[in-house]
Amino acid sequence: MMIEVKNIQKSYGDIHAVKGISFTIKAGECYGLLGPNGAGKSTTINMLSTLFPPDSGEILINGLDVKKSAEEVKKILGVVPQEIALYSNFTAWENMLFWGGLHDIKKNKLHKKAEELLRLVGLSDRKNEKVKGYSGGMKRRINLACALLHSPKILLLDEPTVGVDPQSRNMIFELIEQLNQEGMTVIYTTHYMEEAERLCTRIGIIDSGTIVAQGTLDELKQQSGIKDVIVMQCNQQPDESAIAAKLNLEVKVTDHTIYIQTQNSKKDLTRCVIGCSEAGYEIQHIDIQKANLENVFLKMTGKQLRD
Amino acid sequence: MLKILRKELKSFLKDRRAVMLTLLLPAILISVFSLAFGGSNNDDDIQKIPLLVCDQDNSKITKQTINDIDSVKMIDIIPCSFDSAIDLIKRGKRSSVLVLKKGFSDSVKEMKHLPWELQYDAAHIQEMGVLQSLLSRALYTSVGKIVSKNAIIKNIDTQFPSMDSVARNIIIAKATAGSESDNSKEDNGMQSIMKLNTVSVISAKTGNLGLVQAVAGTAVMMLLFSLTSMGGGLLDEKEQGTLKRLLYSPIHPAQILLGKMAASILVASVQLTFMFGFSSAVFHLHIADKILPLAILIFATAFACSGFGLLLATFAKSRQQLQSMSTLIILSMSVIGGSMVPTFIMPQWMQDISVVSINYWSIQGFYDILWRELPIAGTFLTKVGILLAIGTTFTLVAFRLFRKNVLALD
Repeated sequence: MMIEVKNIQKSYGDIHAVKGISFTIKAGECYGLLGPNGAGKSTTINMLSTLFPPDSGEILINGLDVKKSAEEVKKILGVVPQEIALYSNFTAWENMLFWGGLHDIKKNKLHKKAEELLRLVGLSDRKNEKVKGYSGGMKRRINLACALLHSPKILLLDEPTVGVDPQSRNMIFELIEQLNQEGMTVIYTTHYMEEAERLCTRIGIIDSGTIVAQGTLDELKQQSGIKDVIVMQCNQQPDESAIAAKLNLEVKVTDHTIYIQTQNSKKDLTRCVIGCSEAGYEIQHIDIQKANLENVFLKMTGKQLRD
Repeated sequence: MLKILRKELKSFLKDRRAVMLTLLLPAILISVFSLAFGGSNNDDDIQKIPLLVCDQDNSKITKQTINDIDSVKMIDIIPCSFDSAIDLIKRGKRSSVLVLKKGFSDSVKEMKHLPWELQYDAAHIQEMGVLQSLLSRALYTSVGKIVSKNAIIKNIDTQFPSMDSVARNIIIAKATAGSESDNSKEDNGMQSIMKLNTVSVISAKTGNLGLVQAVAGTAVMMLLFSLTSMGGGLLDEKEQGTLKRLLYSPIHPAQILLGKMAASILVASVQLTFMFGFSSAVFHLHIADKILPLAILIFATAFACSGFGLLLATFAKSRQQLQSMSTLIILSMSVIGGSMVPTFIMPQWMQDISVVSINYWSIQGFYDILWRELPIAGTFLTKVGILLAIGTTFTLVAFRLFRKNVLALD
């Protein structure tokens, strides 16, 4: 395991920010921490990044205890903070050299790496401009690039796309996907469902300082009981019980429309279409309502993610 | 227009910091300045000049003389041995000592030149002018009376040796009363007998005291402001998230503060060097042969001021808080420490508390080098040591506050 988090807790006075969180992440995995603001995501990231220790519990990163080997752990971690943590009076290039320099990277290697990352985030041609003149999206891209200069094994991203334009968001996603494919372990905190769905192989749903569920998207759907719905509009009113018996799925019929609930709409779609045709119904329109994290989150926590 | 006026006033009153800066800060500064310049209009607040008195004759006449001087409202007598007095003056603790030498009473009786002298710190030259005038006046009322009486007796006895004793006493009494009522008429003989010798304990060889005061006072005050502002960068880093990012990197939190401290000292040293260089080039401040002690004092001042800036920055919760706090503290410290006016024109109790300010030690150090031209060893090094001790203490407290206030990121 690259990361093992065992029952960690953290309080600030009377506020229990994290109440016994546990999860494990394999090397090369992209793990998403999904939860609303104030759920405990950033506190968890801060503990993982050795910023402060948990009040209780244990965090092992690459086998190292973050409490005992903070300096060693920091060397293999790249952290992208929620804030745009850059010196706005410095140019992008100066920022990169400064942040990279803190990791004692040799000058030539650092320059080479900085050039490469600037190219990856699409800012090579503007590297000598002061960061304060950049758009929000450009700042976010440099914010990410600065965390990668020392080629970390693990990348912790704390809501890295807040206030970002679609073009920059896409560029950030592509870079994270590329890094993950190259073997970098990624932890991604967000309150955007679509980001977690797109990037993360496994997701932990965090709410009020606890992980309420975790697994792949399919596993979460299963745990929550939320299913995909295949919607087929027919030329006549179908027989609900006959269709249900034929497909062996949960079926509802209203107003010439059949609603079929399935764990995997992709797999069951053909079977459903054939079954309805064989029953003598002419299908005029088909739609698939995929179960998504939004439904899962609502079902599991009883609240909207953006509450 | 009334609506705008109401809105503006409401908005102003809601901002407690603005209200404080508008009302409280000037009130505090007026108080500090007034006290520094000699208090209120109340007669009881007359500023007294402390005068060390060393009675080497220890006679009835010297005791009477000291009592008469003590009755002068503006003089505050402090009995002291000669060595201690000189030491206190050299260390800048006291400005002057009146020495009544052995044979003072004999000289009074014999109407010889009185063996008394005023030894002083040349940095307090204006104060000495006032003191000399007060002493002369006080002496004419006591010693002058005795000297006059003796002179009359001597004259009568010399010119009319066979005069009847009753007539002699009547003449002496009338003449003495006449001299009492008109003691402002100082004859030349009397003046030469009672002439007060003045000797500077610390020789002021070169330079202009006003220039040294202006340069040193301004330099230290400006340094405190600029370094506090620089220390405030720590709060900006916390607010912008770069501090957090620094903590993610494999450097120790102490290294962050030490790095900031080092930068602060460097900038402060450059700033002070520039100020003295500028004063030398433009106002001909004589520094050419004082480079080493100047460099030592510049470093010590830069260190103490940097520690101060860092301390305030780690104590304050926000930039705004830092700004209000630093304005109040630095201006107060600059007034009592002698940045705005020399400490010697302040009341004694304010001079006593001026030692709590960085300004005082630094400015006195610059006096030592540029005005008193003292050697490095001795009183100058003590001031440097005190500045370094202040800097070290502030830095240690700043480290503690950094952990407690700044690193508590959430």
